[in-house]
Amino acid sequence: MSTPSFTDELRSRDDAQIAQLFSARPDLITPVPTDLTALAARANSVPSLIRALEALNRWQHDVLIAASSLPEPFSRAQLIEITATPAATALEDLWSRALLYRDGENFRLPGNLRNMLGEEPAGLGPMAPTRINFDLLEQAPKNSAEVLARLTWGPPRGQVASIKKPGAAIEWLLENHFLLPVDSQTVVLPRQVAMYLRSGKIFKELLFIPPVVTGTKRKQKDVNRAAIANISTFLRWVEELAHNWSDEPPVALRSGGLGVRDLKRSAEHLGVSEICAGFVAEILYLAGLVVIDTDDYILPTTAFDVWLTKSAEERWHGLVSLWQETSRVSGLIGKADAKNISPLGPELDRTGIAGVRKTVLNILEKSPEIDPLLATIQASCQWVSPQRFNADFVEWTLREAEWLGITGQGAMSEFGSAFVNGLDSLGIESALPKPVDHILIQADNSAIAPGPLTLEISNMMGTIADIESRGGATVYRFSESSIRRGLDHGHTGDHIKDFLKKTSKTPTPQPLEYLINDVAKRHGRLRVGQSLCYLRCEDEGLIQQIMHDKKLENLRLRKLAPQVIISELEMHDVMAGLRESGYLPASENATGILVLQPASRRAKSRPRPPRIYSENGKPSEIMITSAVRALRAGEKASAHKPREIPRTTANETLDLLHQYIEEQASLTIGYADTNGGVSNRLIDPISISLGTLLARDHATGEMAYFRIPRITGVSPAL
Amino acid sequence: MSDGPLIVQSDKTLLLDIDHPLSDECRRAIASFAELEKSPEHIHTYRLTPLGLWNARAAGHDAEQVIDTLLKYSRYAVPHALLVDVAETMSRYGRLRLEAHPVHGLILASIDPAVLREVTRGKKIAPMLGMQLDEETIVVHPGQRGFLKQALLKLGWPAEDFAGYVDGEHHEIALKQEGWSIRRYQELAAEGFWHGGSGVVVLPCGAGKTIVGAAAMAHAKATTLILVTNTVAARQWRDELLRRTTLHEDEIGEYSGAKKEIRPVTIATYQVMTTRKQGLYAHLDLFDAIDWGLIIYDEVHLLPAPIFRFTADIQSRRRLGLTATLVREDGMEGEVFSLIGPKRFDVPWKEIEAQGYIAPADCVEVRVTLTEAERLNYATAEPEERYRFCATTATKRKVAIALAHKHKDDQVLIIGQYLDQLDALGEELGVPVIKGDTPVKERERLFNLYRSGEIKCLVVSKVANFSIDLPEATIAIQVSGTFGSRQEEAQRLGRILRPKADGRGARFYSIVARDTIDQDFAQNRQRFLAEQGYAYRIIDADDVLNQS
Repeated sequence: MSTPSFTDELRSRDDAQIAQLFSARPDLITPVPTDLTALAARANSVPSLIRALEALNRWQHDVLIAASSLPEPFSRAQLIEITATPAATALEDLWSRALLYRDGENFRLPGNLRNMLGEEPAGLGPMAPTRINFDLLEQAPKNSAEVLARLTWGPPRGQVASIKKPGAAIEWLLENHFLLPVDSQTVVLPRQVAMYLRSGKIFKELLFIPPVVTGTKRKQKDVNRAAIANISTFLRWVEELAHNWSDEPPVALRSGGLGVRDLKRSAEHLGVSEICAGFVAEILYLAGLVVIDTDDYILPTTAFDVWLTKSAEERWHGLVSLWQETSRVSGLIGKADAKNISPLGPELDRTGIAGVRKTVLNILEKSPEIDPLLATIQASCQWVSPQRFNADFVEWTLREAEWLGITGQGAMSEFGSAFVNGLDSLGIESALPKPVDHILIQADNSAIAPGPLTLEISNMMGTIADIESRGGATVYRFSESSIRRGLDHGHTGDHIKDFLKKTSKTPTPQPLEYLINDVAKRHGRLRVGQSLCYLRCEDEGLIQQIMHDKKLENLRLRKLAPQVIISELEMHDVMAGLRESGYLPASENATGILVLQPASRRAKSRPRPPRIYSENGKPSEIMITSAVRALRAGEKASAHKPREIPRTTANETLDLLHQYIEEQASLTIGYADTNGGVSNRLIDPISISLGTLLARDHATGEMAYFRIPRITGVSPAL
Repeated sequence: MSDGPLIVQSDKTLLLDIDHPLSDECRRAIASFAELEKSPEHIHTYRLTPLGLWNARAAGHDAEQVIDTLLKYSRYAVPHALLVDVAETMSRYGRLRLEAHPVHGLILASIDPAVLREVTRGKKIAPMLGMQLDEETIVVHPGQRGFLKQALLKLGWPAEDFAGYVDGEHHEIALKQEGWSIRRYQELAAEGFWHGGSGVVVLPCGAGKTIVGAAAMAHAKATTLILVTNTVAARQWRDELLRRTTLHEDEIGEYSGAKKEIRPVTIATYQVMTTRKQGLYAHLDLFDAIDWGLIIYDEVHLLPAPIFRFTADIQSRRRLGLTATLVREDGMEGEVFSLIGPKRFDVPWKEIEAQGYIAPADCVEVRVTLTEAERLNYATAEPEERYRFCATTATKRKVAIALAHKHKDDQVLIIGQYLDQLDALGEELGVPVIKGDTPVKERERLFNLYRSGEIKCLVVSKVANFSIDLPEATIAIQVSGTFGSRQEEAQRLGRILRPKADGRGARFYSIVARDTIDQDFAQNRQRFLAEQGYAYRIIDADDVLNQS
């Protein structure tokens, strides 16, 4: 019976099994392969196999290694013999991922996978061609036994001075085939011997379940309380930072990130560490709540206003989902060995972080009421995905999960758990303090909102008062400037007083009422507007006449006082219009002195004469000499033009160049430009360094650099 | 979600809802570690400061207790980071200890050599230290105790002072409770001070701070130096001590510009202590004249800078600071903390009022509209002259006189800053004026006449801002002040807060020129009182003028 190919075996799988394969290795259906041959080719390709291996946990990986150590085809019993009984389940799982395929009752590995896992899986050497008498081991000399012990758990190779005179210990082992010579200086422990020494088991220890996560015990109730505090704090940070940037927008660095100074300022504003501020900034950026505007200012977007209207749960869920998925790692910000990585910058993406986040959250979810020790959760993560493990990522994920409120006091909260399990309702809304719809105004012109305010009230309060302290409650202070701000936003004094009367549980203190009245009375008493010129006349009748003159309507005149009119037009236009209609205006200057002879009109712009494209003048000496040189070079080049420069490989080019540099000969080279077009250059090579040739170019007479890979060929100039 | 009375803000302020049934219990619980910042009518604000937390450590509370209290009374979940911060801050206290060593005298010790190394590296601290005895102990130069504590506090590693106090020369002093008895809060204040060793007691004006001082002396039973603001205050102290304690007249000395007596209990004025002759402080020896067991600083919020420096040298003596308003416009609260001592007792004004020990007060701001001519002159006045101008306008004077007439049957005090304004008022009303150049004898005579009711109205300058005991004064009219000084406003209100025989309330008028800088200053001046729950009422000057 011929051995079935990987393709044949895949073909024999039923639809359910293929579906299982796709769900375990989603990259296989992006794009969907045309037929099973294409599927097999892709499943056996290195990139897909790398992904598949990354998705394995430690135990699955170990079993696969064990499988690759067996001669093909191998049976289930053989595999279990060198590992342990649970390997059977892992075996099925590996098969369903098409990392193994069946040959009758036995199994084989796809060709590329075997290559990837290497020749010496689990530190095992090659099979010995001869039978080995293990009984002899009992009589092994002490030194020989020591050598064996050293090689047992791999790597299986050892160096000797010379295979001819290896010393007594090695010699005894070689004689009895416990070691095999590889080359004149290397010996190897054959696989059979290693397996015998390992008592038939391929690994020292087998971890078929992840290491247990241990840590401080917490009470779920406390965890939830702490988490809800974290959630409300986090949402507040987001809101606050956006507001802060709206007031004082930071300017993005040229490379696109947030500068260190702005980060520091943001951290101070939020009262958190810079790392935390960077994290909040990143979340804002991810969610599109802020953007780097075209003029490089970092500003909140309109999406932020929409976001504010959502419920706390929606807001939180949206941000946390983005955090879980993103490949941006805010933990890298300001790390000592990566000092130039800034939030919102282009250098934050890392592969694998999203996987780590999921893994960490799953582990936390499965260890309720435990604030895990970092080392144990790192070990557990390493078991889940040994290929993708990164200790820093785990630490940062824990830190961020706490900031986000997925955890509280380090342990998974009820809300985080609902999020991880994809529940529709996370229960945040009901756990958060109820929004209050009133404030308490006190005699010292401060107002306290004893809980989170409804959006409408908090918007209004934000306009007419300054915030002094935030947290569960908000403390506002009324001042002249804050009331003025409210008036600037279009509220009237009465409107503000009504609002306070309606919203405050306590009567409005009299001083506050006076303050509002005073400011409202003074607000807008002084008006500022724009105009380009004015008309004044002591004869109020004439002013009246001008205002009622239909012909002057196009001058856009406005009467400010009985004797003063202003216009939005330029002075000379107004003068012309008035003269046309038969008035006799005269202009005056800033000090009110009559300018009888109107000054000739002058442009306001600075002189900007056009460029002169004159007849050719006499060229300079330098221009002439360089023109001649170019001419000569062209001449020389055209003489050799018909000659094709032979194409050489980069290595040959390098050799030739070295040779010609020594000979100090002139060369003709073919040089490719950025579009791939090849031109011939006549040069004197001088030196080579860092893949670049320094040479004098005859065409320009100047030193020029030529990149070796772009040189298509070299030949001596004739 | 519990429904506690306390809201913990992320900026470490604590908001206490006083209308909540648990508010009293909560107030007592948090008072030991949080500092009362303001206490208006509905919500009191406390703040968690490193000083307050270290104070709590000094009083024997640990971080766990503090955190438990916060969690127990908090209405909303407390941010975890804040709790961590509290624990961390508290753990910094006591890592360094100042101790008395039998051989080397004063030493700085720590069980944490890293901390000791960190602080000894400091440029400011190194010169105060002597030989390093071992990893954990280092000798402190004698006399540097105060300065070292000050510097360590600035570094964030406050030292716990175990070096103790000298007992001073023994002198028998006891309270003589005949016909009166010490009030509960006075007793608590004196005990709080005694257990703390040194520190400041904050009580409203008129609440009997002198008696707290007397009670502290009775605890110490030692020779005492009392530093007061001026001679009149010194004599008031002497009279009060004679009345309340077993001390006899010949046991109490006055050390002022007029007399230089040194007795077991000596009362000295700040002024004489800071008098310099040929660039030297002439009377510094007083601090060493007797082995004082206790030094009392009256009105500690006014303590002049040189006295701070002398105080740093006498850290081994017990120090008691007394004040109604621990706000210093010069921001030297930190110096008061490290040199005199932490705040040992504080109680909201309104609470004492509720107990009936100070008179309820009605604060009224009278808004005066300037005449057109005055407004124009004001607008064109030089910036540095503006306050003086608007504070002393004729319109204001008219209103002050109208008010004085309205209250002609009450005991009235008219208080102001500018002497020509006061002279003009005195002349128009036909009442005596007391100012800086009025001789002490004359002052005492006038005050006595006023106390006995023979004079109904007095015009006083800022010499009467504090320490002047005028029990029957019920009306104060403030016409001008030291710009926006909060403590001055509070002290002036304090002049009329002594409970009246007939239980009447006091009234405090502040006359303010509308739409001028006077109004801005007034707002700042009123802040302290507003934060203590005194709500100002605003009336228009025209109403006053029309009535009369």
